[in-house]
Amino acid sequence: MERVLVNIPSNPVFERVVRASADEVGQAIGLAPDRIEDLKLAVSEAVNNAIEHGNGRQISKLVEVVFMLDQEKLEVRIRDEGEGTEQERIDFGRRVVEETNLEAGMHRGFGMYLINALVDDCEVSSSQQGTIMTLRLYREGHQR
Amino acid sequence: MTNQVINREEFGDVAVLHITTTSVDAISAAAIEAACTDMRPITVLDFADVAFINSAGISALLKFVVSARKSGYKLFAMNVSPHHQKIFKMVEMSRFMPTIEERDLAAYR
Repeated sequence: MERVLVNIPSNPVFERVVRASADEVGQAIGLAPDRIEDLKLAVSEAVNNAIEHGNGRQISKLVEVVFMLDQEKLEVRIRDEGEGTEQERIDFGRRVVEETNLEAGMHRGFGMYLINALVDDCEVSSSQQGTIMTLRLYREGHQR
Repeated sequence: MTNQVINREEFGDVAVLHITTTSVDAISAAAIEAACTDMRPITVLDFADVAFINSAGISALLKFVVSARKSGYKLFAMNVSPHHQKIFKMVEMSRFMPTIEERDLAAYR
């Protein structure tokens, strides 16, 4: 197994660094261009969630992202340093733009739905040490 | 973010807002959505230079949807990549901001 580790402070500017890393990793393992875009978006959403809801945008707190590659899959673990209580309520359900939400000014909340829809599987585990979101994309021809 | 992220072009009732940043995300969102206060009866967002859009960016784009609906204006998207068309379809953004071809604007010029 090969690992790529990226640590960023909880500043949304640095989400772009992780996204660029996801792009490079996706290319290195030969993912199709559309799958790389899926990976970048899913990782972006998970990192922004960790920055905002996990670490509460406290720059001193880190978001750790580990890309792990093996013969069958790419696994990405995104870990924050929050207390995990908020994260336990993550909703991966389908979320679309609706008239009532527009009128109520509710323009957010698509991130978890997009993650769930774009990767092959994902899971969340929380403890008092933080929350870990794990995303997996399987290489072509491997079982999910 | 103080960099200009939108180049504005107007003709008749049409405003074409060319998004010049490659990332429509949490960093560029505020600057992009600021342009929704000055829309025209037909407003077109041009995504030709956009390589990435995430949910924070979608939230910014929804400000244009809300503003257009309040004013009774039409809002379109132009030069949307296949990947972003897929994402817009997934969140049903395309219902509120359908795509338009550049050649369809020729009639207004």
